[in-house]
Amino acid sequence: MSGETALDQSGLGVPAERAPTDWRGDAMRRRIARRYASERRFRLLGMAAVLASAGFLAFLLISMMGNGLRGFTRTEVAVPIDFPRSVAMIDPAVLQTNPEQALANANLPAVLEQATTQAFGVSDTQLLSPNAVLALRDAIIRDPAILDQKVTVNLPASTGIDVAMKSEGNGTDEALASRLDDTGVISTAFNLGFLTGSDGTDPTMVGIWGALKGSLITMVITLALSFPIGVFAALYLEEYAPRNRWTDLIEVSINNLAAVPSIIFGLLGLAIFLNVMHLPRSAPLVGGMTLALMTMPVIVIAGRNAIKAVPPSIRDAALGIGASPVQVVFHHVLPLALPGILTGTIIGMARALGETAPLLMIGMRAFVSQPPGGFTDPATVLPVQIFLWSDEVGRGFIEKTSAAIIVLLAFLLTMNSIAIYLRNKFEKKW
Amino acid sequence: MVMPDMQSSAPKMSARGVNVFYGDKQAIDNVSIDVDLDHVTAFIGPSGCGKSTFLRTLNRMNDTVASARVEGEITLDGEDIYSSGMDVVQLRARVGMVFQKPNPFPKSIYENIAYGPRIHGLAGNKADLDQVVEKSLRRAGLWEEVKDRLNESGTALSGGQQQRLCIARAIAVDPEVILMDEPCSALDPIATAKIEELILELRGNYAIVIVTHNMQQAARVSQRTAFFHLGKLVEQGPTTEIFTNPREERTKDYITGRYG
Ligand SMILES: Nc1ncnc2c1ncn2[C@@H]1O[C@H](COP(=O)(O)OP(=O)(O)OP(=O)(O)O)[C@@H](O)[C@H]1O
Ligand SMILES: [Mg+2]
Repeated sequence: MSGETALDQSGLGVPAERAPTDWRGDAMRRRIARRYASERRFRLLGMAAVLASAGFLAFLLISMMGNGLRGFTRTEVAVPIDFPRSVAMIDPAVLQTNPEQALANANLPAVLEQATTQAFGVSDTQLLSPNAVLALRDAIIRDPAILDQKVTVNLPASTGIDVAMKSEGNGTDEALASRLDDTGVISTAFNLGFLTGSDGTDPTMVGIWGALKGSLITMVITLALSFPIGVFAALYLEEYAPRNRWTDLIEVSINNLAAVPSIIFGLLGLAIFLNVMHLPRSAPLVGGMTLALMTMPVIVIAGRNAIKAVPPSIRDAALGIGASPVQVVFHHVLPLALPGILTGTIIGMARALGETAPLLMIGMRAFVSQPPGGFTDPATVLPVQIFLWSDEVGRGFIEKTSAAIIVLLAFLLTMNSIAIYLRNKFEKKW
Repeated sequence: MVMPDMQSSAPKMSARGVNVFYGDKQAIDNVSIDVDLDHVTAFIGPSGCGKSTFLRTLNRMNDTVASARVEGEITLDGEDIYSSGMDVVQLRARVGMVFQKPNPFPKSIYENIAYGPRIHGLAGNKADLDQVVEKSLRRAGLWEEVKDRLNESGTALSGGQQQRLCIARAIAVDPEVILMDEPCSALDPIATAKIEELILELRGNYAIVIVTHNMQQAARVSQRTAFFHLGKLVEQGPTTEIFTNPREERTKDYITGRYG
């Protein structure tokens, strides 16, 4: 009794009749204004977050492009060569049947030496890239008639001239470059060699194709191993495995596996694939297997979540008309879960594509001047190539590094676009 | 109305002393009941009394609930459906089910119906399949509404249309028994009337069991009624008898709406 009175006195008692809500009162108006304000604030915050990330991305792309696009071009020098009076020794008969061999023995380096000294007063090694011999050879094969004439051939400039033209080289190169530039013999051309070549010692000679192909083969192996294993593991754990302590343990292990630093996977690959299984060192096969170890848990986790999100009523519906458990999984659950699984795969594969550390452990940091021909040939991959070039002292490698980053980003973009296209195709909502 | 001799033939399905447990909790307590081929059997009872649970034991859908355990004997044409010799996939094709909530596949209307016949190999070719689809949709009273958009999504239909689609899907595999768990609970009176019509039309070809909270519906469509309460089968018999002259006080209270 006394408690009730106390309540009443403190004004907490339930009033006999509820006062009508004043929907137009000041307090209500203020509440509405506050609600609108918080909504606006939230939208602004969201927009700011999106703008910030877009800004970072734009900055990254622009700075990469600024540095890297120059890596796709090369400086060329127009060298006048007077073939009839040069030291070239070419057997016209052999040139007809086997031009490569004829030109290999033709003493072309001496021809270049003679030509550059005559025309510009400098040796060919200072002026021209080691590639220039090859470029000259190709020019002759293209049109053997020039051997009887005095012609001007555009040949790739040496790294020193190249750097001097593009940014800032050392004193002698700068002087030479500006002198040549004034006479109008210097031009810039697209460097096809960068897209078709492999690693080398001279920046004007290196190409990205070897690393790109290495990445491609490695990714194929990673996908071929991690996708089916990951999807089947996720399906088994979600649809078939009994819920008990063992499956809990497996779940915890897989979650932990996804968080293990990548270099540890490299050590694992080194210990198992190389030391125990004796697979070839530096090979995309081993790289792909190592990266698959890393990618699989990501796919399992994403896959399990996607499978869990399939409504149970769909399973009931299928079971209810007599679909077997396997039919339920493959006809209904998997198609509905596939978009989610693909999202996980994109994330996992993108991470694998950018990985350097585990590949260093299994020897994929070797100097590889030939693109790999197969799964077991020595190879390197794009991020490792970037890492190697960024470590080079030569100035010419700076722009090559940036150019390689552009290639890596383009690869990543292509891979993700394909995955997103596939995802949207399967996501077709009914 | 219901002639006594209609029960003379052997029952299509029969349950004897069935107990169902969810973990330690008993949801069905010693239920024995027969389901006849040419009858519609209605299960009525207050919410949570175990109607759905019992219905799901009849086609072993409870197998999918990890904690569920079934005791007792349930036979289909005299064969124990929980015996090891019974193929559960085939059982569910023979004992079809329509769920309380419409659950069409997120596929086209055509695919929804064609799926069952396809996995059971009931249609030889595309023309056969087309025919099965049309026949099933016609029987479910949906054909006229969807015949021009068979390739559209089944989930884009209205709730009532979806439920009829699910019924069409169930009868497309030509089951012997159809279990319906409150098929009209989400439907308006017109859609309900359509489904009741359908049930009356299907009667005789299939043994039908329907769970309903709607007493009028039970009275309209069923020939036999079973009243469940707290997991027990309180009373069963011809529908007219249950509704006009129930033996048990609890049944009387329930159908007159004195508790629910
Ligand atoms: N999956 C489950 N796990 C545990 N208990 C369950 C499960 N399904 C049902 N039950 C319990 O079993 C009892 C019977 O449930 P059931 O769904 O069969 O009732 P119902 O008669 O169909 O009710 P309603 O008319 O509301 O659909 C309820 O007490 C419910 O809590
Ligand atoms: Mg129910």
